[in-house]
Amino acid sequence: MDRALQGIPASPGIVVGPVHLLRWEVPDVSPRIIGDDSIPGEIDRFRDAIERAKERLAHVRDRAAAHAGPEEAAIFDVQIGILDDHDLKNQVESYIRQNLAAEKAFDVVLHEWRARFAHHASPMMRERVGDLTDVHIRLLSLLLGLPDHDPVEVPKGAKAILVTHDLTPSLTVQLDRDAIAAIATDAGTRTSHVAILARSLGLPAVVGLRDAIQRLTGGEHVVLDGSTGTLVINPTDAEVAVFHHRAEREARDEAELRLLVAADSVTTDGVRITLRANVDLPEESALAATSGAEGVGLMRTEFLVVGRTAMPDEEEQYRAYRRVIEAFGGKPVVIRTFDIGGDKLPAGGFPHEANPFLGWRAIRMCLDESDMFKVQLRALLRAGAHGDARIMLPLVVSIDEVRQAHRLLDEAAEELEARGLAFRRDLPLGIMVETPAAAMSADVLAKEVAFFSIGTNDLVQYTLAVDRGNVNLAARFTPLHPAVLRLVKRTVDVGRAAGLEVAVCGEMASQPVMAFALIGLGVRQLSVAPRTVTLVKHIVRGISAELAAEAAEAALASDNAAGAEKQLTGRLRAAFGDASFLGDGLLGS
Amino acid sequence: MVERSVQVINRNGLHARPAAEIVKAAAKFRSDITIVRDDLEVNGKSIMGVMMLAAEYGSELLLRADGSDEQDAVSAIAKLIESKFGES
Repeated sequence: MDRALQGIPASPGIVVGPVHLLRWEVPDVSPRIIGDDSIPGEIDRFRDAIERAKERLAHVRDRAAAHAGPEEAAIFDVQIGILDDHDLKNQVESYIRQNLAAEKAFDVVLHEWRARFAHHASPMMRERVGDLTDVHIRLLSLLLGLPDHDPVEVPKGAKAILVTHDLTPSLTVQLDRDAIAAIATDAGTRTSHVAILARSLGLPAVVGLRDAIQRLTGGEHVVLDGSTGTLVINPTDAEVAVFHHRAEREARDEAELRLLVAADSVTTDGVRITLRANVDLPEESALAATSGAEGVGLMRTEFLVVGRTAMPDEEEQYRAYRRVIEAFGGKPVVIRTFDIGGDKLPAGGFPHEANPFLGWRAIRMCLDESDMFKVQLRALLRAGAHGDARIMLPLVVSIDEVRQAHRLLDEAAEELEARGLAFRRDLPLGIMVETPAAAMSADVLAKEVAFFSIGTNDLVQYTLAVDRGNVNLAARFTPLHPAVLRLVKRTVDVGRAAGLEVAVCGEMASQPVMAFALIGLGVRQLSVAPRTVTLVKHIVRGISAELAAEAAEAALASDNAAGAEKQLTGRLRAAFGDASFLGDGLLGS
Repeated sequence: MVERSVQVINRNGLHARPAAEIVKAAAKFRSDITIVRDDLEVNGKSIMGVMMLAAEYGSELLLRADGSDEQDAVSAIAKLIESKFGES
């Protein structure tokens, strides 16, 4: 049997450790008929299991509240509520009275309920299937005497590698980072919940392994390499040595780069490039603040809604924004308003759309749901009183959207004034340039916004009509396509002529070749993941803006992406020699 | 028997957490409590039932209680729904 499993690299880093297998699946239950005299005992057994499951959930809830916060823990109250449901209990007990064993009776009822929820027309209902499944698994495990797979009980310091089918939000909030050193899942893609979460927590992760659960029994030693997406079961000493060697080299590269945290981000010919961090969760702000970043170029706010049972209120949002703003003590923090829809569903669900990336999402949804949007705007205005906050609107295609947002921002300020709360009224309002429409009408938009920030991933996707999540199209997703380069160039030129800051805030800016190209196109503000700030700074300090401009010009004159890449990599390699880290970031090579 | 109609006015509708709150409130009364939306009738003391209503923002519900404390039961649940469950 092959011991090396190949998955999708989701979060870099190498870990050797024991497997903690989390079989969070509904077990098979065979039908069992009981005699009439066993019925009272079987009902007691069922009621006892319910009580034990509720105790367990209360414990999990308290742990989750301590790790993740009360809002995240609320999901477990719902699960306790399901176990308390009289209709559920009565149905199960009536099956037991018809001589069905407790586990089968419960199994039948839960399958019925889950099917009703799963096929419901309302997305709000379909989202709750996960809670029913969690309850189904938990109670059956108790009734069948199966081992307790809760990740809550992995001992601290175990440095275990959590292997599971998929990390659901309810499992995620239980993760104890002192116990879990890496994550491997059978499901998932690079952009799925688990991958984003692992990267933001700095946990190495491999996703999309397909059958790791079947091949493992738990407790084995494995090597997980989050940079290459491999999981090696029971590695030989020689294999471990190879990974250790790689891990050491990665650590050495990182240590070298750490030395750059306090260094200036200036090219060899004296051009200053402002580097900022992208932040997905408020918890990351401390890491980001010590990464060498001069502020936050993109704070995403989707964590407040995705996977949650309810939209967050003004107070909770205010606290989250304020936490990040204060962590950066007066440096700019650009906060993007809800970019939900498409693949990121908010609390309460969304209508099904045939074409979600072209659908009712981001600023479109926020403007239509103005009450919800104003809650966010009020929270932002209030948080703005604690530092240098800026508001950024996603997916803008027309000036009308900017005007409407300005109007709502004024209303939000008036509402705060009426309530007598402290806030800052003149927060700069800028936009993401991530559609060809915004790039082409940059001159119009420049008159009424405070800044531009180019979102590279979406700009590529919308310009080339290539879905960035589709594996069959991966080779066609080419950020160096001449059309994309021209749109970036146009946005930079127009923005600078109007005296606006033009930033790039896609993860792509952390790839050495892209950073080089963007600087060459005239971008002077880059925002990247905290972990890659020093890598980009290293690039900045090794090149001249003049060389970058020459390379970008040659790239713009190329007739395709491959030609543009050749122009860029040739000059970048010449500047750096054959440094190993360049290879990691080079596109498609 | 007491009946009263009420509109769901919290933006997120009767998703999981509000459903749990309604059931918790309903459990305090001795009366039988039924919630009706269009032609769907559910037990107000069952979280599965209340979630099954899939009552989103703006939907009209009929609350019905039957028992010794029917008046109080209907008022308490109507008040809870009208309070938007603490959402702003």
